Amino acid sequence: MSRKANYRTGSHSRKRGGGRGGGGGGRAECREWRQEQHEEEQIRPEESGPRGTCMSMCPIREVREREAQRLLHRFEILPGTESDRLPRADPSRTVKEYSRPAAGKDSTRPCDLRPPSVLLKTMCFLIDDIATSPTLQPWTEGYDFVFDRLRCVRQDMVIQRVSGAECVAVLERTVRFLLYASYRLCEEPLRLYDPRINDTHLQESLSWLLDCYSSGEHRHLEEFQALSLLYNLGSSRALRCALELPERVRDSPKVRLALAVNRAHLERNPVRVLRLARGLDFLQSCALHRHLGACRQDLLLLYSHGHSSRNCRFPLQCLAGILALEEAPAARLCRAHGVAVNGDYVVFSKASYVEPPPGDLQSTRSPEMVDSKRGNSTVSEVIHGCA
Amino acid sequence: MAHITINQYLQQVLEAIETRDGSFCAELMSFKHPHVANPRLQLSSPEEKCQQVLEPPYDEMVAAHLRCTYAVSNHDFVEAYRCQTAFQAHKEENWALPVMFAVALDLRIFANNAEQQLQKGKGKLGDMLEKAAEQLMSCFRVCASDNRAGIDDSKKWGMLFLINQLFKIYFKINKLHLCKPLIRAIDSSNLKDDYSMAQRVTYKYYVGRKAMFDSDFKPAEEYLSFAFHHCHRSCQRNKRLVLIYLLPVKMLLGHMPTPQLLRKYDLLQFADVTKAVSEGNLLLLNEALAKHETFFIRCGIFLILEKLKIITYRNLFKKVYQLLKTHQLPLDAFLVSLKMMQVEEVDIDEVQCILANLIYMGHIKGYISHQHQKLVVSKQNPFPPLSSVS
Repeated sequence: MSRKANYRTGSHSRKRGGGRGGGGGGRAECREWRQEQHEEEQIRPEESGPRGTCMSMCPIREVREREAQRLLHRFEILPGTESDRLPRADPSRTVKEYSRPAAGKDSTRPCDLRPPSVLLKTMCFLIDDIATSPTLQPWTEGYDFVFDRLRCVRQDMVIQRVSGAECVAVLERTVRFLLYASYRLCEEPLRLYDPRINDTHLQESLSWLLDCYSSGEHRHLEEFQALSLLYNLGSSRALRCALELPERVRDSPKVRLALAVNRAHLERNPVRVLRLARGLDFLQSCALHRHLGACRQDLLLLYSHGHSSRNCRFPLQCLAGILALEEAPAARLCRAHGVAVNGDYVVFSKASYVEPPPGDLQSTRSPEMVDSKRGNSTVSEVIHGCA
Repeated sequence: MAHITINQYLQQVLEAIETRDGSFCAELMSFKHPHVANPRLQLSSPEEKCQQVLEPPYDEMVAAHLRCTYAVSNHDFVEAYRCQTAFQAHKEENWALPVMFAVALDLRIFANNAEQQLQKGKGKLGDMLEKAAEQLMSCFRVCASDNRAGIDDSKKWGMLFLINQLFKIYFKINKLHLCKPLIRAIDSSNLKDDYSMAQRVTYKYYVGRKAMFDSDFKPAEEYLSFAFHHCHRSCQRNKRLVLIYLLPVKMLLGHMPTPQLLRKYDLLQFADVTKAVSEGNLLLLNEALAKHETFFIRCGIFLILEKLKIITYRNLFKKVYQLLKTHQLPLDAFLVSLKMMQVEEVDIDEVQCILANLIYMGHIKGYISHQHQKLVVSKQNPFPPLSSVS
């Protein structure tokens, strides 16, 4: 099945090209992307890339093409024409889709490229009208759509070598969106959401953004340095970069807290990590969330050794508190790790501790550690950064 | 030598090539040699002259070298590139390796200079060095794939030198993951113990640092110790560089340096750290880390030194045990000791976690009783010597 056919059928499978396996594909893609940049440089050694002239979210040529080939996404179809032989595009909702660079294809035609202001407008449309729309369901399909169209937004930026405020604004929202998605979709099966592909794009956008921050003044610098530290908990590379930040940035409350979490992790103190995690804001919690499972597992490992005695009991309620879980999931987690649960108590023993096979422990959303932090702000506010 | 004419210079090069005198030829191509300061050789287009005297590919190499001397006032290292393209021509022999060494070394140094120059303007960090690495890599491929020549004539003798140059670049641009295939190439090479000691020392130094960043402390200690013991005694500066990484690794494994050693190598930044760790003085450790933060961060060892906290906890808790002289120690006592060290917002749960970690790592023999809020330690050797653990 061709990539485009996926669209027509409205299937959820992400369009990574049929033959390639999940994560490896992500990495190859990333390389491809860089190569793209290189090729670009070779074609035009001078400073600026081509300037886009397309003032709508989707070039008119592509609209016509996809109409004719019935490749419109269902979000893009003009209401009332869905059942026509050739459904029409709603120009206010059709967005240029990502297409892989290929030999002989000219992706630098100004009329196919959107200038930075239009890219930012597209970005806002994707967040406000798709990602946070209450009517478009299921969310995984909206995610797929936004993911693909955002990728194309970045591609347009790369080709035109966009930098400056609009580039930063687009990247900031991209990172926030992908972070939020990584949490919101963490319980979805692999066929609907692949965390590794999301991760690849998130890391790429994040390091691009931090690159943009390396010159000039930026309002959200601290926020994203902190997010980078939390999302990459335990990465010595991220930590080393953070240590090289100017003191002013390192001493800002957000970065300080993120650094404290990393220090606690470095000292192998999961109790402290989990306690500090309670003080994070919503998006920071989303960023850290993917590490909580490993953190809890580590805690059970350490406690299994430290409290290993047949005569000792540990109150489940107390343990659940430390793990930042309700009692029932805490008990389930204990049993999965070979920690005996007897009524209100658990008994640790280093001999019986086992690591469950990877993949056995499905990542779960945690209402009290993440969702509750959002308070009254909407997802849209979170992604726009005005929560 | 310094003021010879271009023709004299070219004759010397020709002679060196004809007699296959690699090291003399290398001198004539090196920026360490005084001829590069000779204004009569600094030509913007020496190609024709070179072609008259030398056969290809040497004419091109030498011409590029001379253009490079011309450009060097601008630190324009791009010229140096072309020098290495000729290398593949030597099908069966390896006499020209010293030439390649000289050229490769200059290439890296120029890339570094170019980088610094570019930093003042704009331009992406690491671009120049990355391009230089690509060039070195293509030399490396030529050397590594030289399978047909006999061992004495093999260009494989050039591998380690190139790897060391590449390491220097990769460490500089923070791309340590690129080192891995190079290390594998040397590990599987049958020449690995026969390279010159200087090259092996450099190699072990970088491999040791890499192991340290990967938290493989035992191998890191081994590599860095090798580098330290075999580094030439006149190279105090290099020995000091090795120590900057060897000290933290040794400390993590429980070996503390003497004050004399620190003084001898001008590494007193470590003095307070050492003292704090052996005394279990967390407060002093934090102060010492903060005081020399810039130095430690610049060397890239700050995070490793932070790991010393775990050993400092161990030493602190050992003191608590020695003071209380019992095998059932109230957890509160540990909490008090941590608060005394001004550890922020610590509570009894964290005390248990720190103790559990120490027990897990083998630093304490015993178990925690949550019911009785006590740490019960073994009657024999509850705090095994650090060097016996891990």
